[in-house]
Amino acid sequence: MSKNTTKLRYLAAFAGVSALALTACTGPAGNTSNTSGGASGGSFTIGTTDKVVALDPAGSYDNGSLFMETQVYPFLVNIKPQGNEIEPDLAESASFTKPTEYTVKLRPNLKFVNGHTLDSKDVKFSFDRILKINDENGPASLLTNLASIATPDANTVVFTLKQPNDQTFPGVLTSSAGPIVDDEVFPADKLMTDEDIAKAHPFAGAYDVTSYTKNQLVSLKANPGYVGLVEKAKTDVVNVQYYANSNNLKLDMQTNKIDVAWRSLSATDIGDLKTKDNVKVHTGPGGELRYIVFNFNTMPFGSKTAEADPKKALAVRQAMADLVDRQAISDSVYKGTYTPVYSPVASGLPGATEPLKSLYGDGNGAPSLDKAKQRFADAGITGPVTVNLQYNPDHYGPGSGDEYAKVKDQLEKSGLFKVNLQSTEWTQYSKDRNKDLYPVYQLGWFPDYSDADNYLTPFFVKDNFLHNHYDNAEVQKLIAEQQGTNDKAKRADLIGQIQEMEAKDLSTLPLLQGNQIAISGNNVDGVDTTLDAAFKFRLAVVSKK
Amino acid sequence: MTALVDTPAEIEPPALKRSKKSGGGLGRYILVRFLLIIPTIFILVTLVFFLMRVTGDPITAALGGKLPPDQLAAKIHDAGYDRPIFVQYFEYLGQIFTGNFGSTLDNQPITQVLLTYGSATLELAFFALIVALLIGIPLGMVAAKFRDKWPDAVLRVFAILGYATPVFFAGLLLKLVFAVWLGWFPVAGRANTDNALALQQLGSPTGIYFLDALRSGNMAALGDVLQHAALPAIALGLLTGGVFLRLVRTNVIGTLGRDYVEAGRSRGVSEFRLVTKHAYKPALIPIITVMGLQIAMLLGGAVLTETTFEWKGLGFQLAQYLGSRDFVAVQGIVALLAVLVAVTNFIVDVIAALIDPRVRY
Repeated sequence: MSKNTTKLRYLAAFAGVSALALTACTGPAGNTSNTSGGASGGSFTIGTTDKVVALDPAGSYDNGSLFMETQVYPFLVNIKPQGNEIEPDLAESASFTKPTEYTVKLRPNLKFVNGHTLDSKDVKFSFDRILKINDENGPASLLTNLASIATPDANTVVFTLKQPNDQTFPGVLTSSAGPIVDDEVFPADKLMTDEDIAKAHPFAGAYDVTSYTKNQLVSLKANPGYVGLVEKAKTDVVNVQYYANSNNLKLDMQTNKIDVAWRSLSATDIGDLKTKDNVKVHTGPGGELRYIVFNFNTMPFGSKTAEADPKKALAVRQAMADLVDRQAISDSVYKGTYTPVYSPVASGLPGATEPLKSLYGDGNGAPSLDKAKQRFADAGITGPVTVNLQYNPDHYGPGSGDEYAKVKDQLEKSGLFKVNLQSTEWTQYSKDRNKDLYPVYQLGWFPDYSDADNYLTPFFVKDNFLHNHYDNAEVQKLIAEQQGTNDKAKRADLIGQIQEMEAKDLSTLPLLQGNQIAISGNNVDGVDTTLDAAFKFRLAVVSKK
Repeated sequence: MTALVDTPAEIEPPALKRSKKSGGGLGRYILVRFLLIIPTIFILVTLVFFLMRVTGDPITAALGGKLPPDQLAAKIHDAGYDRPIFVQYFEYLGQIFTGNFGSTLDNQPITQVLLTYGSATLELAFFALIVALLIGIPLGMVAAKFRDKWPDAVLRVFAILGYATPVFFAGLLLKLVFAVWLGWFPVAGRANTDNALALQQLGSPTGIYFLDALRSGNMAALGDVLQHAALPAIALGLLTGGVFLRLVRTNVIGTLGRDYVEAGRSRGVSEFRLVTKHAYKPALIPIITVMGLQIAMLLGGAVLTETTFEWKGLGFQLAQYLGSRDFVAVQGIVALLAVLVAVTNFIVDVIAALIDPRVRY
């Protein structure tokens, strides 16, 4: 080898090492995005672990997809930031014009970003295709009360419902079933890929998609033609960075590489970020519930057990309600990110009350051993009752293991229960729970839309999704009645009565309610504005100084 | 292949002429090696297929619990997963033969997944290999030079730690120290948001950010890409670097004892020059051979490295598909990786045969 070649090799090696070393010295690894405000409205980056299943509303019914749909698609009605009532959004007006007819008048001269006209045909098309495609990941199940849609003129849509005065229908229009899509772009009978959707710009929400790499990086630009409940997007460009690992999301937030972190950080990470000076932790009301389900056939003293005794079975449920210390679980396991709930309906929603607080424990939300012992004595239960308690470790977050270890500990410490705690992976869990294999088990709920009914109908009507053999005709009658009651005060009263009855029956034992939590840099505004009862993160109200 | 032991390997002097033992020649050697790819891939694909099916059919794995039993059964029937397993197996083999590795649950062909994400993995593997060579060769020579003295002991421990430390642990440690505490490097990703967007919007991007940044002439983006690549490349490169270090040390020690080196020493050539000029060249040859195996190790390590650093390549996608129980995608990617490893090993074997006089054919 010649000397020159040797030198060249050393030089190349040196250059390689230097390149690596230099990269370390090119300054802090923060985001270099152009964040100057100015007329353009600047930009910011939001990080999330919530993945998009599909950008096509007919094929998605999940938090990650709804987050993106909220930004890019218009909705007929919605809840405005910091509001708690449903109002017209893309619509000019929306109301029941007959018991089975819900009529929507669209705002005039609506357009999609691609220039196509947005009229009543697009609205009808959007809902019809969800039902026609009926995708397993889609929201067709939310539209079961929809009989037909008529479009008398370009700006009028009439929804005909199967059940009259369905007060939950406006809520459905704000949900995953509600995005309005472009009938000139989407096929009527099959799903469209995310990439094709992004290229066609069939959007009329606050933002348009300018770059789309699914579940990696999406860039949004404010839609100048947007009209709706949010007056105007406060930021011109928003980049959405997807993370697979919540720890990376946390670290990037901590080092201000991103400006906002939205779903889902662990309680420990949130607790840690609360101690940092360069970020703010924002908390808002959340709709997520964590609760225990009782199978009325197979729970201790259940109707299909050898010692069947409804009175004793009720005493077991009530004693458990007396003994669980929700606050202790909230503090030790979830660091306050989930807070105690004393009703099957999430607190903060119109009609929500807290009947379990006064009925069980010390009457103020804390546990009471004496009361639990009295329940057993009154029912004639002598020895400790064995409870086979199931939980799931992979569907409701990593805290489930600690949460249910705590529940076991709290019940066993009383001496009234012997708890066999078991866990099963979700795929099997979701099947087994429907086969009466779990006498007492964990479930969680994230609402489809902001309405108390969404916490009642799915759980307490006959043949509900819990399949726990709970059947109370009076509760079912009241549920049907509140659904068809126009008067808000009267409806709230009915919802209160249902909660009271459920608290006495204890078909489920509500434990905790999840807060909405977002983290932002100190120079970000508007995050608190969007953490409201709508349970929707609206990028349009967030800005960076 | 050279065994990874500390005893010096028997190394022929570089000038030794190759002697043909079996009389078949290089052509026959290459042909045999090439034909061996077929049973290798066949066995790997068969293993992957049956191991994946032990857990049930892919439809139930992905949608079990989401759909009512009748709808689930209909989907299983439509996809043909209720047919005898061997019928499905032979159909799968037929598909692979035509280059069809199947599709993901969201209907992306596996070959498309490979094209989309393979470039990121290739880039990471390339950087990791550079790190491994930068660590392994010079430090191996130093260890050999100071044989059985403290620098040698330190480097041997370092080498063992390098390949014995789980790659995700090394990654987390590097992240904690250099990204979180010191703030020198980014925590995750392949580039910052603006640069990633700019590189994605280039005309006909290669997907290899380093090359795309070079093409765009954006030096700030290039620096950013290198900065993002540094920690994942080091985490993954340490794995292979440790192996290279020990290999180079062992072989340099072997060559330092050869007659031609002794002759140089007796003529007054300095020890430094003996190591860096005369002894290291033949000692590097086995690295070529070992590199073939290291490719498989790098791809295996890439799953964990990419997941740790959110490096969105094939390994990252594989972990995502596993998480979402998309077993068709997992099966397709693993089978495709098996093909890649088999072909890479074949190429490395051929190169080794051409340059390593100890290889007999």
